Amino acid sequence: MTYCNMTSALRPIGLAALLLTALATFAADIPDRPEKLTFPPLTYEPPNAADFRVALKSGPVAYLVPDRELPLINLVITVRTGDYVVPAGKEGLGELVGYLLSKGGIKSKSAEELDERLAFLAANLNSQIGDTSGSVSLNLLSKDLDEGLALLREVLTEPRWQDDKLKLRKQQTLQSMAQRNDDSAGIEFRERRVLAYGEKFWLNQLPTKASVEGITRDDLAAFHRDWFHPANFIVAVNGDFDRDAMVKKLEALFAKWPFKGKPARPVPGDYAMAKPGAYLTDKDVPQGRVSILLPGIRRDDPDYFPLIVMNDILGGGGFTSRLVNRVRSDEGLAYSAFSVVQGGVYYPQPLIAGFQSKSRTVAYAASLVLDEMQKMAAAPVTAEELNTAKKSYIETFPRNFATKQQVAGTLAGDEFTGRYQSDPGYFKTFRAKVDAVTAADVQRVAKKYLKPGEVVLQVVGDKREISLGYPSHPVKLEELTGGKLTELPLRDPMTLKPVKQ
Amino acid sequence: MIYRPVLIVAALIAFAFSAAAQKVPVTEKTLSNGMKLLLVQRDGEPTVSGGWVAHVGSSNERPGITGIAHLFEHMMFKGTPTIGTKDESKDREIIADQERVREEMRREEAKLRAAIRRGEIDDLLKPENKSARYKELEAEFKKLVDAQREILVKNEFDRIYTTGGASGMNAFTSDDMTAYFIDVPANKLELWMWMESERIHRPVFREFYAERDVVFEERRMRTEATPTGRLSESFQAMVWESHPYSWPTVGWPSDIPAISKAQADEFYKLYYAPQNLTLILVGDFKAGTAAAMAEKYFSRIPRGPADAPDVVTLEIKQPAEKRMTGEADANPQVDIAWHTVPFGHPDSSVLRVIGQLLSTRTGRLYKGLVLGRGVATEAYAQPSSQKWAGLFYAGGEAKDGSTPAQVEQAIYEELDRLKTEEVPAQELQKVKNNFAASEYRRLAGGNHALLMQLIQNEGLGDWREINTAGSRIQAVTAADIQRVAKKYFTKEQRNVLTVTRKPDAKDGAPSAAPKKGKK
Repeated sequence: MTYCNMTSALRPIGLAALLLTALATFAADIPDRPEKLTFPPLTYEPPNAADFRVALKSGPVAYLVPDRELPLINLVITVRTGDYVVPAGKEGLGELVGYLLSKGGIKSKSAEELDERLAFLAANLNSQIGDTSGSVSLNLLSKDLDEGLALLREVLTEPRWQDDKLKLRKQQTLQSMAQRNDDSAGIEFRERRVLAYGEKFWLNQLPTKASVEGITRDDLAAFHRDWFHPANFIVAVNGDFDRDAMVKKLEALFAKWPFKGKPARPVPGDYAMAKPGAYLTDKDVPQGRVSILLPGIRRDDPDYFPLIVMNDILGGGGFTSRLVNRVRSDEGLAYSAFSVVQGGVYYPQPLIAGFQSKSRTVAYAASLVLDEMQKMAAAPVTAEELNTAKKSYIETFPRNFATKQQVAGTLAGDEFTGRYQSDPGYFKTFRAKVDAVTAADVQRVAKKYLKPGEVVLQVVGDKREISLGYPSHPVKLEELTGGKLTELPLRDPMTLKPVKQ
Repeated sequence: MIYRPVLIVAALIAFAFSAAAQKVPVTEKTLSNGMKLLLVQRDGEPTVSGGWVAHVGSSNERPGITGIAHLFEHMMFKGTPTIGTKDESKDREIIADQERVREEMRREEAKLRAAIRRGEIDDLLKPENKSARYKELEAEFKKLVDAQREILVKNEFDRIYTTGGASGMNAFTSDDMTAYFIDVPANKLELWMWMESERIHRPVFREFYAERDVVFEERRMRTEATPTGRLSESFQAMVWESHPYSWPTVGWPSDIPAISKAQADEFYKLYYAPQNLTLILVGDFKAGTAAAMAEKYFSRIPRGPADAPDVVTLEIKQPAEKRMTGEADANPQVDIAWHTVPFGHPDSSVLRVIGQLLSTRTGRLYKGLVLGRGVATEAYAQPSSQKWAGLFYAGGEAKDGSTPAQVEQAIYEELDRLKTEEVPAQELQKVKNNFAASEYRRLAGGNHALLMQLIQNEGLGDWREINTAGSRIQAVTAADIQRVAKKYFTKEQRNVLTVTRKPDAKDGAPSAAPKKGKK
């Protein structure tokens, strides 16, 4: 570039001038604002569930998405079971069944032999049980499909529940239980669920040392036989296969089931949220973790679309959201500040806003979050905010189906939770529903759901430092919630009984 | 573009297990200003995952400005002369005024550090320790921040992308690299070109000091408020004696609040020059069109006058085993780190195979420590060959009734077996099969996942490693494993961190404390 400044010879000047012109033309082509760019149109239609859906004669509904690009096959069976059907006193059974189903041996192979064979094939065969579903998944090279399916069939129908593996897993579970109070994030997660749903709700029936020690091999076998049968399965499979051939293989996989299970039970929703107020758990860390809870909705609620748009503007949209702008960018009080509206599948899930800040600014930052909630309800959002929030859902919609695994998994997920049956056009109409949300809708739901005076404000952190506050922003936690501050003691990690301080 | 399965391409390679099918087809170009461009054209998903690597990380820092590479990464989202403000010239004036106040504040901060040395105060950040003059300056600075806020367009850079349908905008900084990435709809490739060339060309570091506070909160969140964060940080500082890997990427707590905007400007000039950057695009575009567009947008950034300096400090060979013993709110555990070789060294492939032989539930550590000896609840091995130097980690959590010392001893016994006995062919083949399958699996994850792998390889030294590592791993022999195990797993080259549970009545969990196991 330096030769552009040379003036001693004619030729270089000419060259330089020419180059400069060329650059200038180039630069002139680049507009000063990105809004001036024009883009080719992009149309996108989501996959049509019916194109992939097969109701197998053997029981399950399957979604098959063939894709010959790579010699891999991925198969996931989702099971209608979960912690919600674990009997009282046996807390921890779901996790043990979920883990040991594929890791505790099968009729023809010990756990070690099964592990070795799968590892040699570079195949993954995993199982787990969560809150409201279980899953068994197989990912392997397509050349090994038949052997993989034979092993999968045995895992599903004839697990061995090897005693040594049960003993080891229980020991590992107990030792990991001992860490329940080690990380402030773990404490926050556990106690937040208690505040959101109440101590008695099924979701808060957590394993204890006594419950885990009391679980027997017979408990595992009974739980498995109750819930793991084809009528309770939804299947998603994608990868290197021919559709008709795969249908035949799946029919064989689920045919002639050796036991008859129970029909799936509905997920109970009989919870009770804590009374509004501030709740603090004392933990010696230099940064307090804050969660602010308000009653929320189910995902089939008519307010769902206005509420997700409202939430995107409040704290769901990352750097374009008000909470990030205020708490993080303006004030430098937190690395992460957010709000979440999930829309529960089976029961309303609370709206949560949260952040982490140094102890001394915890109360001040919390007051800013409540202030932003107030503002959402007090005035309509700007047209620009509304547009950004809507675009963030509409324009990124194709990414829900970015890979073939996502196509199969997302469609199967809707089948599992019943939305395919109740609202088969959900994905087709999703973008139009987001687009229909108005600023008035957003303000209406903000008024309805964001009530700063009725929040459950949860804090985990250093009680003494947090109560000192910050001299230039003297805010007290209890002032934010009408004078109520309840101290939540830590629980003994093995019994979950509150520890006397 | 309509959603379409890629059946045609697929049919051609469906049964071909050839090495060619596993390669990532990268087109490499260099722009006229020295900026490198990598393009991977893929069908299927109607998106483009775009990213770029700045070949700079915390290992390019020095004491006093540790954390600057990472803070800088945060600042790259703050906009440009026209993005982020309503009044470019007033914005520039306010930033200059802010720097004048900050200069005075820095003089006051020096006095506070002197007060710490004299023992008069204990903590720079405690509000009660600030001098009267400092508080005045803070108030003055706040007025300037308020004035700037009047003309600020908050987080406009993000808003433009979001409105344009982009998602997943983020960045990371490591010892070795700083990388920025985002996914855009396939028709918005030019928006990516505009936005990224604009911020590389002329970033404006507005809201610099609030962002510094954000970074300090990030440090609290990741390091100070986690059970073993401070011990891990301290362990790294012990492992690395001479090499800059000794300091944390997020920066020392004294340095983060002392970094100035002038230092960031200087850092930008040296390390964000085009010849130090690699652009990477993966997705649904035409390589020719994308390359021409990149030349148009990015070549407007002039090549930097100076190339970034090499990191000259080599890690000095440690003269003896080093050990650290700590207590934390955590189960008793041990971590061991041996000095090995950097990225691209032939032995790094052998170390990856060893890592896999030891890891997973059919690996030697699980079988030997968790199942066999029953001294651990979990055990791991992890090779880590970085850009300038490498380590090999192994460790585990002691089972109730066992000690970290027993876990440590058992790990040494397993490593000794690697030195003295040849690995059986079947076991070696099992490990190689998993590496081979992972060559396919990495392509199944979509455009974004592939972009991240290219970023890693390019940032560590050479994107080509993504295509050459596979065959080198398949060529590793049992003899290689024996040789490498003997060479690196020695007492003199190892560092050991032992953690036991902190006895603490307040947080604790009386019944959680191990009955035995105290050293």
